[in-house]
Amino acid sequence: MKNPAMLQFEKPSFFKRIKGMLGVDFYRLFHTPLLYIFLVIAALIPALVSMGAMGGEGEAAGMFTNAWQIVAASKPLYVISDMGEYANMNMVFIFGGIMISIFIGHDYKSGYVKQLFTTHAKKQDYMMSKTLLGAFSMACMCVTYLIGGMIAGMATGLPFEINAGSLICAILGKMIMSLGWASLYTFINVIFRSKFGISIALCFVLGTGIPVIGAAAVIGNTPALNIFLYGSSVYACLSANALSLFICLMNSVVWAVVYNVLGWLVLSRRDCY
Amino acid sequence: MNAIEIRNLSKSFRGMYAVDNLNMTVPVGAIYGFIGENGSGKSTTEKLICGHLVPDKGEIKLFGKDYSDAGVRVRVGALIESAGCFPNSSVWANLMMQALNLGIENRAEEINRVLKIVRMEDNARIKFKSCSLGMKQRIGIAMALLGNPALLILDEPINGLDTDGMKIMREILVDITRNLGCTVLISSHILGELEKIATHYGIIRQGKMIQELSAEEMDARSRVFVSLKVKDIPGAKAILHDMFYNAKQEGEYIRVYDADDTEAIVKCLLQNGHTVSEVKKNKVGLEEYYIELMSKKEGA
Repeated sequence: MKNPAMLQFEKPSFFKRIKGMLGVDFYRLFHTPLLYIFLVIAALIPALVSMGAMGGEGEAAGMFTNAWQIVAASKPLYVISDMGEYANMNMVFIFGGIMISIFIGHDYKSGYVKQLFTTHAKKQDYMMSKTLLGAFSMACMCVTYLIGGMIAGMATGLPFEINAGSLICAILGKMIMSLGWASLYTFINVIFRSKFGISIALCFVLGTGIPVIGAAAVIGNTPALNIFLYGSSVYACLSANALSLFICLMNSVVWAVVYNVLGWLVLSRRDCY
Repeated sequence: MNAIEIRNLSKSFRGMYAVDNLNMTVPVGAIYGFIGENGSGKSTTEKLICGHLVPDKGEIKLFGKDYSDAGVRVRVGALIESAGCFPNSSVWANLMMQALNLGIENRAEEINRVLKIVRMEDNARIKFKSCSLGMKQRIGIAMALLGNPALLILDEPINGLDTDGMKIMREILVDITRNLGCTVLISSHILGELEKIATHYGIIRQGKMIQELSAEEMDARSRVFVSLKVKDIPGAKAILHDMFYNAKQEGEYIRVYDADDTEAIVKCLLQNGHTVSEVKKNKVGLEEYYIELMSKKEGA
C-alpha cells in the first residue's frame, strides 16, 4: 500500500453529514431560478386574491372586512363558506408542494441522487435535508406573500387595524407549519421520485386541504382537526394567541418527525431507482 | 485487506435474479476489470455496492467494514450509467455541489485539481447539457475523483470516448492507483482497453461470478500460439494436422495453438512445398480468453 492514509476511514459526524447534504441543496436552491420564481408567485398571489375580491366601486366585495384577511382568516374555520375564508397565506403551502416536487423530482430525473446515496450511507440525511430546505423555501414564500399581501391590502383600501400580537402569532404559526408541510411533501416525493407529475398532483390535493375540508363538512368545525397539518395551518388565524402558536409548533414538529421516519423507511427498504 | 468482499449476494427483479449468489474479492490497490455480456449483472452488482439497490441477501464489505458504514461510503466515488449531473447547471456548479456534499474544505482548489486530471479545465463554465458524450463521461470521472476516494466504481467509463479520450482515461486510472493507492472496479465491453490496465479480472455470467483471476494468472492460462501467413491455407492446415498440431484458420493466417517449436513448424511447411511469408508468436488476449471461456460454459 503506497498511501496508508488511503485506508483511514473517519466516520463523519451527524452534523458533518447534514452540513454536506444541506450545502448541496442550498447551493442548488440559490443558484437555480426555481426558488425565485416561486417567491414571485407567492408575492403575486395576494394581488390576484384581492383583484378577485374587488367590486365595481373599488372595495373588497364582501369577502374581506380587513386588509389582513388577505394574509390569514379572521377565525379558525375549517368549513369553507366563501373564498375569503380560504384565500390567504395557506396558499403558500400549495405552491410550496409544487416547488418541492420539482426540486426532488429533478434529483431523481438527473441521476444526481446516485451521487448523494453513494456517499451518504444514512438515508435519513436525505429526508432531513429536503425537509429543512422545503421549510426554508416555504417560510421565505410566506414573507414574500406577506409583503405582497400588505401591498394588495393597501390597494383594496380596507382598514389595517388589528391586534398586533394575534397577527404575529398567525404569521409565525403559518411559517412554523412550513416544516410539517415540507416533510409531508418530501415523503410523497421519495415515494414517487422521478414521476413528479404524480407528486405535484398529490401535493396540490393535500395542500389545498381538501381532505380536511371534506372531513369538516361531515364532522363540523371542531378543534380536533388541528391534529392535521391543514387544521393547524387554519388555526394560525387573526384570532391566534400563544397557545395557537404552541399547537402549530407541536403539530409541525410531530408530523415532521413522523414523515421523516416514514421517508427513511421507504428509502432504506426500496431501491433508489 | 480487500477493498471489496462480497459473499452470496443476490438481487432479483420481479422474480428474476440479476445477481445470483455472487462472490467477489477485489484486493486493495487493484484495477479490477469486471467483465460480462449485456444483462449479466455487472451494473446491478455495482449499484448494490454503492447502496443504490437493496440486496435480497448476502454480504458486502468495503475495506473490511459493512458497506453501510458512513466512514467508508464517503470515500467511494462512482460513475454508474451516467454522470448524474444537473443538465442546466454548469460543469463547475455540478462539481461544486459534489464537493459540498463530500464536505471538502478547499473546494475551488479540489475542483480545479480534478478538472485538470480529466483535462476539462477550459470547459468548467459551460452547461452540462451542452457537453459532448465524451466530455460528460470525463465530468462523471471528475465527480467520482473528488474528495480523494479510496474506491472508484466505474461502469463503462470508456463508452463514447474517442481514441484520445480512452488514452487519457487509461492514464488517469493508472495514475490514481499507482500514486494515490486508489482501488478501481471498472466494467467495460472494450476488453482490449481493459487488458492494458487491469491487474485483476472478474468474469460474470447470468448473475454468477464464473471466474476471478489476476492479470498474471490470466497470462499464465492464456494459450500460446504461432501465427503463420501462407498462400495455401487448407493445404498447410492439413499438413499441420497430420503432424498433430492444433491448427485453425484465422483470416489470412493459420494459428497453431500450444506450440513452442516455431522452427519445427516452419521447417515442416517448407519441406512440404509451402511458402511462409510471415511468422508471429503470440498469446491469446483477454477478448479471446473471455469468448473461449463463455463458449466452454455454454457447452457445459
